Amino acid sequence: MQEKLIQIEQEPPRGDWRDPHVEFHKGAMCYSAAAKNLTYLGLPNPRTWQPTDSNWKLPPDWKKIILAGMKERLKKYRSFRLFMDICVRCGACADKCQFYLGSADPKNMPVARAELMRSIYRRYFTLTGRIFGSLAGGRELTEDVIKEWYSYYYQCTECRRCSVYCPYGIDTAEITMMGRELLTLIGCNINWVMEPVANCYRTGNHLGIQPHGFKDSIDFAANEASEITGLKIEAPINRKGAEVLFVMPSADYFATPHYYTLLGYLMLFHQIGLDYTVSAYASEGGNFGFFASHELMKRLNAKIYDEAKRLGVKWILGGECGHMWRVLHQYMDTMNGPADFLEVPVSPFTGTVFENARSTKMVHICEFTADLIHHGKLKLDPSRNDHWRVTYHDSCNPARGMGLLEEPRYILHQVSRRFHEMPENTIREQTFCCGSGAGLGTDENLEVRLRGGFPRANAVRYVKQKHGVNLLTCICAIDKATLPTLLEYWVPGVEVGGVHELVGNALVMTGEKERTTDLRGEPLASAALPASGEMEAVHA
Amino acid sequence: MSAEQAILQRWIERTLKSYPDGMAGFLGEERDPFRNPVGHTLRENLTTLLQELMGTMDQKRVAPALDALVRMRAVQNFSPAEAVRFVFGLRQAVFEVSGAVPDSLATRIDELALMAFDQYMSCREQIFELRAKEIRRRAQYAAFEEGEEP
Amino acid sequence: MSALYSLLAVLALVAAGLEGGRTGAGRDALTLIVPYAAFTIFLAGFCVRVLRWAWAPVPFHIPTTCGQQKSLPWIRQAKVDNPSSKWGVLARMAAEILLFRSLFRNNRARMAEKRLILGESKFLWLGALAFHWALLLILLRHLRLFIQPVPAWVNGLERLDGFLQIGAPQLYISDVILLAALAYLLYRRFRDPAVRYISLFTDYFALFLLLAIAVSGVLMRYFVRVDVLSVKQFALSLAAFRPVDLRALSPLFLAHLLLVCTLAAYLPFSKLMHMGGIFLSPTRNLANDSRRKRHINPWNYPVKKHTYAEWEEEFHDKLVAAGIPLEDEDAGKAHTD
Ligand code: SF4
Ligand code: SF4
Repeated sequence: MQEKLIQIEQEPPRGDWRDPHVEFHKGAMCYSAAAKNLTYLGLPNPRTWQPTDSNWKLPPDWKKIILAGMKERLKKYRSFRLFMDICVRCGACADKCQFYLGSADPKNMPVARAELMRSIYRRYFTLTGRIFGSLAGGRELTEDVIKEWYSYYYQCTECRRCSVYCPYGIDTAEITMMGRELLTLIGCNINWVMEPVANCYRTGNHLGIQPHGFKDSIDFAANEASEITGLKIEAPINRKGAEVLFVMPSADYFATPHYYTLLGYLMLFHQIGLDYTVSAYASEGGNFGFFASHELMKRLNAKIYDEAKRLGVKWILGGECGHMWRVLHQYMDTMNGPADFLEVPVSPFTGTVFENARSTKMVHICEFTADLIHHGKLKLDPSRNDHWRVTYHDSCNPARGMGLLEEPRYILHQVSRRFHEMPENTIREQTFCCGSGAGLGTDENLEVRLRGGFPRANAVRYVKQKHGVNLLTCICAIDKATLPTLLEYWVPGVEVGGVHELVGNALVMTGEKERTTDLRGEPLASAALPASGEMEAVHA
Repeated sequence: MSAEQAILQRWIERTLKSYPDGMAGFLGEERDPFRNPVGHTLRENLTTLLQELMGTMDQKRVAPALDALVRMRAVQNFSPAEAVRFVFGLRQAVFEVSGAVPDSLATRIDELALMAFDQYMSCREQIFELRAKEIRRRAQYAAFEEGEEP
Repeated sequence: MSALYSLLAVLALVAAGLEGGRTGAGRDALTLIVPYAAFTIFLAGFCVRVLRWAWAPVPFHIPTTCGQQKSLPWIRQAKVDNPSSKWGVLARMAAEILLFRSLFRNNRARMAEKRLILGESKFLWLGALAFHWALLLILLRHLRLFIQPVPAWVNGLERLDGFLQIGAPQLYISDVILLAALAYLLYRRFRDPAVRYISLFTDYFALFLLLAIAVSGVLMRYFVRVDVLSVKQFALSLAAFRPVDLRALSPLFLAHLLLVCTLAAYLPFSKLMHMGGIFLSPTRNLANDSRRKRHINPWNYPVKKHTYAEWEEEFHDKLVAAGIPLEDEDAGKAHTD
C-alpha cells in the first residue's frame, strides 16, 4: 500500500524541451481566430479550425512560408538576428517570467521560449546547425513545432521583464512578436487578438462600437460626471480646431472599472477648461495589431495621426493604457510620422513645454496631470480617497518600454493619503505582469492567466495583509479589465482602479456640489463617519 | 533535526515532486517569497498544516492554509486527484520518519484530504463562475452593440 | 548527454595535442597550419558575424527602460538605467559591459521573522564577472610572449597580478580566480535544474574547452615547467609570419596551443560571439528619446489603411443621426447635450 502510493506520486518527467509535442487543454488555451476576421483584414489562410484539432489545415507550403518569413525578418530586424545568436543560456532570465513562476512549466522560462525559435534558426540558418543538426542545438521544423509556438508564444505577454535581467538585453518579447508574425503568415492567430484588430480597423475601436454607440457612451459618461458634480460637463466629439486631441483605450468608455477613470478625465478637463476633442474615428488608443504583427500595428495606429491632422489639433494627449503607450512611445512616430503638422506640446495652463514629446507630439495624461499638480493648478482633497488604501501596480509597457514610473506615483501621493508600495522587486522596472496582456486576456484562457497573475497577486496579498490595501491602481486598460478577476480569485477584497479615478475623487471643482460618494457611488470615508462638525453642517 | 522537521522536509519534497522534472530544485531552494511564489506558498502552508495536524487542528489556521495550497494547485494543470494528492504525501512522510502512522493522525489526514477535495471543487467552481462572469460582461457589450443597430 | 559528448570532444582535442607532436607532419600541422588557419577563421568569422548584425537595420526604437524616464524637469531621471542622451547610453553600456549591470539586478527579498529583508543573491554575477575579468587579465599578460621588448604596462599588470608573492614561480591571482569561476559556472550548469534543462552541447563544450585551456596553462606555469624562452621565440616567429620549427616545444604546450586555436576558430560559430553582440543590442544601446527625436526605419513601407473618408462613408447615416460633425460640415458642432 505504502509502496504503491509512492509510485503513483512519481510524475513522469516532461523531458527534453526539444520534444515539441504539446497538449492543448480547454481553459488553458486561446481559441483560433475566426475566418471572417482574417478575411476582413486580408490576412492569409482564413479557415475554421481549433488548436485541439489534429489537423490545423495549414497551407501546403507552410514550411516554405515560415522559413522565408524568418529569413526576411532576420534581415530586417537586428534585434531578431542578434537575439537568435548571442544567448549564452546563463539562465538569469529563467525565473523572471511570471508564467514560469506561476506554472512551473519549464518551457515558460524566457530562455526556453526563445530556444523554441532559436533551435529552428540554428537548424536552417547557421552553418553549424545545418551540418551538426541536433548536436548544434537545431530542431527540424515540423507541424508540432508550429503547435508548440502557438501554445508558448501565446503564453507570453510581451512584458519584457526577462529583458531587464538579461546581461545582453535579450528581449524575449521581441522573439514572441516574431513568432506571432510568423504564425500570422500561415493563419494561426487567436481570436482574442484578431477580432479586436478587425473591429478596430473597421469602426475605430476594439469593441467594434460604431460612431453613434461611441457618442452615446461618451455622452453617458459626461452626464454622469455632471450628476456627480452638479456641473455641466461636456465631451466634444470630432470637433475641428480644438487644441488637443484626446485618445484613450476604448475600454475606458465601455468597461468597468475603466469607466471611473474616464469620469476622472472628463472632470479634470472640465475643471481646467482644456480645449480638446475626442474622435469617433480614432476612438481607440490601444492597438491589438501590436500583438499580431508590426504591419497590423501600423495599419491601426495610422488613424491617430491622420485624425489629428484632419481635425487640425495642435497636439495629442493620451489616456491610461499600457501597450497603447508602448506603441505611441516607441513605434508611432517611426511608423506613421513625421507629425510635422502638429506643434510641440505645451500645457496651456502651466506653460510647460513637453520637450520629451517634441517629435511625437503626444503626451501621457500622467505627465500632463503631474505637471498641473506640481504647478499648483489643481485643488485636491485627498481625504476623499480615505476609504481606499492604495497600492500601485506598474504596468509592464509604461514601466519597461517607456520608464513612466514616478509621474503616476507623484499623482497618487497628492490625491491619496494612504499609499503603500508593494515589495521592491515586484514594482517599477521589475514589475510583475498581470499575466493577461498581449491579447491573452480572454476567458477561455483563464487558467493560464491565473497562473501568470499569481506572482503579482502574491505581492498584492502581502501589502493587503501588511497594510490593509484594498485598491490596486494602475494605468493600463488590460490590467483594469483582467486584474479584477485575478484578484477575486487570489486576493479577494482588493479592487482595481485607475489613477485618474482617484484624481476625479480628490479634485475640488469650482462650483461643484458637496460630494458624499466617490465616482463609484460608494460613500466617502468622511461621510461614513460623520464625526467632524463640517459633516454635520452638511446634514443640517 | 526534530522528527517533526524531518517529516515536514519530506512532505515538502514529495509535494515538489509533483511539479515537472527538474523544477523541484528551484521551487524548493529559492526562498524569496516574491521570486518564488509557488515554492513559498507550498513551504509556508505545509508548515502550518503540519503544526495543526500535530496540534489542535485549529480551523482558523487550517482552512486558509489548505485554501492557499489548493487554490494554487487548482490552476496548475493537475488532474483533480493529482491536485489534492499532496495531502496523502504526509502519510508517507510520517511513515518514513517514524515507521508507523498513528491512527489519530491517519484519521486527521483523511479528513484533511476530504476538506482539500471540497476546497478543490469550490476553486474550480469559482474559476467557472469567473469565466462565466467575463463571458457575460462580453455579451453585454455585444448586446449593446447589436441593440444599437438600426 | 551533451555534457558527456562535449567532455569527450575536449579530451580528444587534448589527446591530439599531446600526441600530435610526435611526428614531423603532426608537428607542422600543430605549429603552423592550425594556428594560422584558426587565426584566419577567427578574424574572418568574427568580422562576418559582427558585420551581419551591424548591417541589419534597427527598424524600431526599442530600449528596455529600467528606471525613470526623462520627462518633467523636476522628476529625477534614472540617467544610466534609462538614458536619454549619448552620454547616458555610454554609461549604461559601460556599466553593462564592464560591470554586468543587468546580472547584478538579481536582488531578492527574504522574509525573516515576519520582516521583509532585502538581500542580494549575486553568485552568477560574481562568477561571471570574475571569470571575464580574469580572462582579460590573462590574455593581456600573454602579450609578453608576442611583443619584444615587453611593454612596461604588461610588466606592471604582471606585478599587480602577482602581488600576493606566493611561491616560485609567483602565483597569479587571475589564474586562481579564473579556475574558481569556471568551476563555479560549470557546477552551476550542472546543478541548477533550470539551467541544466536549457543547456546545449555548445554550452558545455565552451566551458570544458576553457577549463582545459586554463588547466594546461596552469600546469605549464606551475608544475610541468616548459621552456618559456622557446615558447616566446615560437610566438614571436608566428606573429612575424616567419614561423620556425622548434623541437623544444613540449607536448603540453602543443595541447594548450591546439585548444586555444580550437577556441578561436570555434568562437565565431558559437554563442561566445556575445562579446561582440552586446555592443549592438538595441534594447541597451539606444537612448530612450523616441518621442523627442524621430527614429527612422529604413524599410518603412506604406500599408493598407481604413481612411477617414472610407469610414465616414460607411457610417454616414449613423454619424448624421448621432449629430457627429462630418468632414465638410462646420466645425465645433458636436458637443454633448
Ligand atoms: S538571461 Fe539572456 S543570455 Fe541568459 S539565458 Fe536569458 S536570454 Fe539567454
Ligand atoms: S516577455 Fe514577459 S511573458 Fe514573455 S517570456 Fe519575457 S517575462 Fe515571460
